[in-house]
Amino acid sequence: MSNVLKNYLAAVRATLTAALTLQDFSSQVVERHNFPEVEVRGSKEVLLNALTISRNENERVFIEPSINSIRLSIKIKQADEIERILCHKFTRFMMGRAESFVVLRRKPIPGYDISFLITNTHSETMLKHKVVDFIIQFMEDVDKEISEMKLSLNARARTVAESYLSMFGS
Amino acid sequence: MSAPEVYNIAQVPITSHAFNANRSEVCVSLNSNEAQILGKQGSEWVAKETLSEHDKIITSIDWAPNSNRIVTASQDRNAYVWSQAPDPLTGQMIWKPTLVLLRINRAATYVRWSPNEDKFAVASGARAIAICSFDPESDWWVSKQLKKPIRSTVLSVDWHPNNVLLAAGSADMKARVFSAYIKDVDKKPQASVWGEKLPFNTVCGEYSSSSGGWVHAVGFSPSGDVLAFASHDSSITIVYPGAPAVITIKSMTLPYTTLVWTSEDSLVAAGHDCQPILFQGSETTGWKAVGSLDDTTAPKSSGGGRQSAVGRLNSAAFNTFRNADTRGQTSLPGMPGAGSGGESELMTVHQNTISTIRAHAGAPSQVTKVSTSGADGNLVIWTTNAVSGLVGRMSGLRM
Amino acid sequence: METSFRKIDIDAYDEDVIQEEELYDADPRDPAQVLNDTKQKTSAVRGYLSKGDTAGALTMILTDPPYGPNVEQAKETNLSTLLTILGSTKSSEVSSVVKGLSQDAQDTLMKYLYKGMATSARSDANTSVLLSWHEKLTEVAGIGCIVRVMTDRRLV
Repeated sequence: MSNVLKNYLAAVRATLTAALTLQDFSSQVVERHNFPEVEVRGSKEVLLNALTISRNENERVFIEPSINSIRLSIKIKQADEIERILCHKFTRFMMGRAESFVVLRRKPIPGYDISFLITNTHSETMLKHKVVDFIIQFMEDVDKEISEMKLSLNARARTVAESYLSMFGS
Repeated sequence: MSAPEVYNIAQVPITSHAFNANRSEVCVSLNSNEAQILGKQGSEWVAKETLSEHDKIITSIDWAPNSNRIVTASQDRNAYVWSQAPDPLTGQMIWKPTLVLLRINRAATYVRWSPNEDKFAVASGARAIAICSFDPESDWWVSKQLKKPIRSTVLSVDWHPNNVLLAAGSADMKARVFSAYIKDVDKKPQASVWGEKLPFNTVCGEYSSSSGGWVHAVGFSPSGDVLAFASHDSSITIVYPGAPAVITIKSMTLPYTTLVWTSEDSLVAAGHDCQPILFQGSETTGWKAVGSLDDTTAPKSSGGGRQSAVGRLNSAAFNTFRNADTRGQTSLPGMPGAGSGGESELMTVHQNTISTIRAHAGAPSQVTKVSTSGADGNLVIWTTNAVSGLVGRMSGLRM
Repeated sequence: METSFRKIDIDAYDEDVIQEEELYDADPRDPAQVLNDTKQKTSAVRGYLSKGDTAGALTMILTDPPYGPNVEQAKETNLSTLLTILGSTKSSEVSSVVKGLSQDAQDTLMKYLYKGMATSARSDANTSVLLSWHEKLTEVAGIGCIVRVMTDRRLV
């Protein structure tokens, strides 16, 4: 693992741990309601400063903390057209099944590829440090997944081209 | 050094807990709209009775030791006072609710009895604190509201020993001291460091931490002359109103959400860091973190305190990382998690945020035991003198 | 039919609602003076750097940084000066330099690291430098330092 990637993930981990200090908070705008303040943005004082951690201009994580929820958005590395398509398909597949991922948001926020919404309920029902582990694991895996898909896509394209061209070879 | 008593009450968060006067029963709410009274049987706490009147999550519970009354506050905007009365049918003693006219239109977030137990304060999301006193004519509790200059949800309150002053911490980053003087209930309070003439809603002081942050917890010292508050910027601030001197201790770990004074010169704070930390100091010497109560001689949790607390969340986390990393850093003896190679693990007794800490045994000026409960469903009783030093351990740590 | 009124956020007109400016104490200095101070600091920092005194340069730049509205230019200048210092420090020295800073300076430095990363898309800030400083600073100042960056409304 390269040094920069290590530092990048360490920074995300530290920032996420710091942001995951959530508590139950009932809305002060609408009575008897309780919703993620980071999504509603109704009361300024319960939102904290949003932080960006970037590895380079194509890869960054954006964390928006609030009193009872945080939103974490990832911009996944997309070096070329194929990676862009793969990334789009991949994240779309995941977000279409958001409920089985619990903390996944159905739609990324503008400028990012995938977003997570973690609320105080999640940090209560799951161990907080395990949630952090999960996100980091996800970030590691998604890059790996996309480069593997790209490799197998290329391999397949090569096989297809070979067998197609072999018709003219003989 | 005695080990803490750990009771696993549930697998869901304990939002609040309160013991009765002789500590034989405890009232808890398990992140639901019901409160449970548990009695101790052997080494277990067994449910005895359920208090169900609220229809949303109960946020806070307080048990008055002398008058043996429980007050519960909930996000359904209500509070109830529960007292024991014989059941007309069976003659058994059961808990009966009494209505409280709170007149707030947002969630009630925190509740505390006054020292004389003739009033209680309910903090709320309606940017107000309701001070409630009993009206015998109508047989209910009536309230009077402290409103100005609160600008956001009030997260915690604490009573001054003189039964009149009230400290409040709120989400608008301020800790304030108010007068909650009710004419029919209170005698004229004596002048104190906080002021002389104290009509209702006098603001005796307004403080905030330098880096902002919601004020999660407030507490008067046993004498009432010093105020401490914990805010979300991971700091504890101690206020001496006489001088006036304000001392802020910035911690290296996650924010504290609750605190209790254990004597005139020490307090215990706990929160997102999952372990109670003892702070000591005075106006002249300044304050500092002395050590963690959660620090046994067991190797798994050696290296406690401030430094490793960063560590704790981090170390396990960072180390998993480092181990996975090919650079292969040497693991440090006494560093939790290092070299174990497993998933990140918390080395603390509580496995999630501690939400409530309370004095458990000893006089207010010399608390010997404190009890904590948290989002991991554990109830733990700690001995306050069982603090392992920070200094020695810190020198052995390389971060 | 006129429906645009439905999209008006009426809660924002509640007179009790707290405003952005009320969340922190404003900088008592005048914007022009802030800019002036920042420029002076920049030249002072150059002096320190030419002597190889990184710690001195950092302490200088991290005291009374410009914050709040109306001082955008001063903020930019301060950030770019700071990035110069960070870039010119040897990676072996980072730890000791960070340890030598006061707690307030560490908090401010953390703010600038995040700001540097947030603006890296449009500026030429070297994120690998920022990330390695971030790692060292987190080791020394703890996660509490990051929490304070989130809570402190005095944005640099």
